[in-house]
Amino acid sequence: MEQILQNLAIGIGVALQPINLMWVTLGGVLGTIIGMLPGIGPASGVALLLPLTFKMGPVGALITMAGVYYGAMYGGSRSSILINTPGDGAAIAACWDGYPLATKKKRPEAALAISAIASFLGGMIATIFMVLLSAPLAKLAIKFGPAQYLMLYLFALSATASMSGEGKVLKGFVSMFLGLMIATVGIDALSGVHRFTFGLMELQGGIDFLIAIIGIYALGEVFESLKEIGKGKTKIQKKFGRIWITREDWRRIWPGILRSTPLGFVIGVLPGTGATMASIMAYNQEKNLSKNKEEFGEGAVEGLAAPEAANNAASVGALIPMMTLGVPGSGTTAIMLGALMMLGLQPGPLLFERTPQIAWGVIASMFVGNLVLAVVNIPLAGVLVRILSIPERILYPLILGLAFLGTYSISNMTFDFFIVIAFGLLGLFMKRTGFPTSPMVLGAIVGGAIEEKFRQALTISNGSYAVFVSDPITIVLAILTVGSFLLPIIQRRKKAAGGMAGA
Amino acid sequence: MTRFSKTIAAACLLLSCAGAAFAQKAPANYPNKPMEFVAPSGAGGGWDTTIRMVAKALADEKIVSVPMPVTNRTGGGGGINLAYMQTKKGADDLISVYSPPLLFIKLNGTSKFGYKDTTPLARLIADYGAFYVSKNSKYKTMKEVLDAIKANPGSVKIGGGSAAGSMDHIVFLYVAKAYGIKDLRKIQYIAFQDGTGPTQLMGGFIDVLSSDIASLRGLVESGDVRCLGITASQRIGTGIVATYPTMKEQGIDVEFSNWRGLFGPPEMPEYAVNYWRDALAKMVKTETWKKIMAEQSWTPAYMDQPEFKAFLDKVNEEYTEIFEEIGILVK
Repeated sequence: MEQILQNLAIGIGVALQPINLMWVTLGGVLGTIIGMLPGIGPASGVALLLPLTFKMGPVGALITMAGVYYGAMYGGSRSSILINTPGDGAAIAACWDGYPLATKKKRPEAALAISAIASFLGGMIATIFMVLLSAPLAKLAIKFGPAQYLMLYLFALSATASMSGEGKVLKGFVSMFLGLMIATVGIDALSGVHRFTFGLMELQGGIDFLIAIIGIYALGEVFESLKEIGKGKTKIQKKFGRIWITREDWRRIWPGILRSTPLGFVIGVLPGTGATMASIMAYNQEKNLSKNKEEFGEGAVEGLAAPEAANNAASVGALIPMMTLGVPGSGTTAIMLGALMMLGLQPGPLLFERTPQIAWGVIASMFVGNLVLAVVNIPLAGVLVRILSIPERILYPLILGLAFLGTYSISNMTFDFFIVIAFGLLGLFMKRTGFPTSPMVLGAIVGGAIEEKFRQALTISNGSYAVFVSDPITIVLAILTVGSFLLPIIQRRKKAAGGMAGA
Repeated sequence: MTRFSKTIAAACLLLSCAGAAFAQKAPANYPNKPMEFVAPSGAGGGWDTTIRMVAKALADEKIVSVPMPVTNRTGGGGGINLAYMQTKKGADDLISVYSPPLLFIKLNGTSKFGYKDTTPLARLIADYGAFYVSKNSKYKTMKEVLDAIKANPGSVKIGGGSAAGSMDHIVFLYVAKAYGIKDLRKIQYIAFQDGTGPTQLMGGFIDVLSSDIASLRGLVESGDVRCLGITASQRIGTGIVATYPTMKEQGIDVEFSNWRGLFGPPEMPEYAVNYWRDALAKMVKTETWKKIMAEQSWTPAYMDQPEFKAFLDKVNEEYTEIFEEIGILVK
C-alpha cells in the first residue's frame, strides 16, 4: 500500500506539470468533440494524434491519448441524448433512456448532467480500481480463452434479449437473431466463403455496426418524426434550466453507478470486449435490478446513469492489459500500444517498475483529466442543450447530414448510404411494431466474435464441446445464460399465480 | 459488372491514359507538393510503424522537405490499398509500405493484384518470426515442438496474430517444412486477429505463439513467456532479444525474413523512382535511421530497386511452394 502511494505521488508530480496539464485538457476536450460526432470515435481520434506523438514525448503522448479515449466517452452520449444519434458505439445505451428523458420528459438538463456525473464517477472510481487492482486483474485477462469469451458473449446476448420487457421476450430474441445475421454478411475469415454479399463488392467487408446504429437510431428517429411534423406537432423546447439534477435523481442513480462501474471496469479489462458491450451489460443489469422496470426506455434516470458510468470505467480498464501485458483491450488501445512501441517503450509487467513516471503519470493524469472533463462538460452542456430549441425543419436535415457524414467517414464508400437508409427504415419498422432494438445491436456487435471464438475453442479442444463447461468461469457464465433465459418465464408464472391469488 | 461500375472503370482508364501522357515530364523541383505515404493497415501496426519511421527519418535528416503525412488505408490484408494503387497508375506522389503479405494476398486469392502491379522502390528492413511458449511450458527447444508435431500433429496448438494463410501462419509452416514435416495441412493454427495471442499463450489455451521479435519483449523480460527461437540466420538485437536462439543453432536449417519495403503505384514515372531510390539510399546511412532500427529491434536489410525486384521474384517462388503444399494456392 505504501509503495502504491509512493508511486502515485510520483505520478501526480508528473501529471501536475503545466505541460501535462495542458495535454490532458487538450486530449479530453478533443475527445469530447470527437465523441460527439457520429462515425468518428476514440480510435480515429487517437490515430489523428499519432504523428504528433514524437513531438510530445511518451508521457505527453500517452496522457493526451488516454484523455481522448475517456473524453470520447463523455462526448459520445451528448449526441445520443440530444438527437438520438450515438456519437460512437459505447454511447448507444444513452439513446435508450437519455433521449426519452430529454425529449419526452423534457428534462434535457437533467439528462446531460446525469451523463456527465455518471461518467465522472465511473471514470474516477475505475481509476482507483486501476491503482489498487491492476496486477490481479491482468491475471484475470489471462484466464479468458476462446471458450470463456464465447460464454460471456452468449450471456450478454441472452440477458439483453430476455430483458426486452413484458410480452416482448420473443420479439427480443427475433431481434437478436436479426443482429447475428447482420454479423454474418461478408467474406468468412476462415473459409473465404462469401455470405449474403449478393455479388456486391461493397458487402464483402461486412456491415459496420456503427453504420447500422446510425441508421437505426438517427435516421429511424427522423423518419418517425416526419409524420408528426406533418401534423404540425412540435417537440422543440424554448426554456432551459440549470444543468443539474434533483435530490430525487441522485437518490435513484447512485446505486446504479456504484454497481455498473466495477462491471464496466472488468469488461474493459478483458481484451477484445470493450466499452460498448460494457455499457449494454450495465444497462441490462440496472434494468433487471430496478423497481421501475416499466420506466426503462421511457426516460428512466437509472437507465442513463448506469451505462454512462460503465463505459467510462471500461475505457479505464482497457488500459490495463495494454500497459501490463502489451495486449490491446480495444481498437483504441491497439493504436495506443503501437504508439508506445514507436516511442521505444516496452509494454509489459515491467513497464511500471522501469518507467514509473510514465505508467503512474498516465494513471494520475486520469484523475486530473476526469476532473477537467467534468468542469468542461457541465458548461458545455448548457450550450449544447439549446440544440433542442432548433425547429424540426432545420434540425432534422442537420441530423440527416450528420448521419450521412458519419457513415461516409467510417467506410469512405457511397454504397453505405444505402445501408444506412435501409437500417433507418428497419429502425422505423421495429419501433412501430414494438421490436426492441438493443438485442439486434448487441447481436451485430458480437456476432462475428461469437463465431470466431466458437471455432477457436473447438480447434483447441479437438472438437470437444466439453470445453464450453470446462472451468469455473465457463460454468458460471453458462448458468447465468440459462438463468437469464428462464427468468422472464419464471416471472410470468409468478405473476400469473399472484394475479390469481389476488382475484 | 454493372453498368455503373463499367462507366467508372472506363472513366478511370481514360484518366490514367491522360495521366500517363503527362506524367513522364518531370516537374522542375520534384517533389514540390505533399506526398501520400500509405500504411495498408491500421494505425500502430508493423506497416504503420515502418512508414511513419521512414517519414520521420527523412524529415529529421532534411533529406525530403515536403510533408509526408501517413494515410491508413486498411482492409483485405493490404488488398484494398493495392486496388487503390491501380487507380493511381503513373502517379508520382504515392508511396506504400508492404511486406510478404503483398505476395500472399495474390497467392491465397484475397486480391487479384500482386507485387507485379506496383513499382518496387527499395527494401529497407527485415523483421523475423519468433516463437514463444509460456514460462511453464514443457517445450524447451523448437526441436521438441516440431518433434511433438511429427508424432501427433493435433497435439500442438499454434497461435498467431494474423489470419490463417498469412504471416504468422506461413512463418511457422516454413520452419516445419524445413524440419521435414510432411503434411503441413495438419498443423493446427489458430488466428487471434484481435491481438490477444499473448494472453492466450499465458493462459495455456495455445502451446506456441508465432509472432515477431519486438511484440512480446516485455513479457520475455518479466519471465512470463520464453522465446524458443527466431527465424533470422544469426542472433540479432540488443538486451534480452540477443539471447533468442536462431533456428540454425538448433539444427534447423531455415531462415525467414519478414522484409519490409516501399512501393510506388504501377508505372511510377522514372524521375520519381530515381528521386526516392536516392533519398532512401541516403536515409539508411543516417544516424537517425540507425537509432530507430535499434529501438525497434529491426535488422537493416537495405536493397536498391534492381536487387529488390530480383529478390521479390525469388521469394514469390518459395511462397508459392508453401501455399501449394497447404492447399490454399489460388492460381
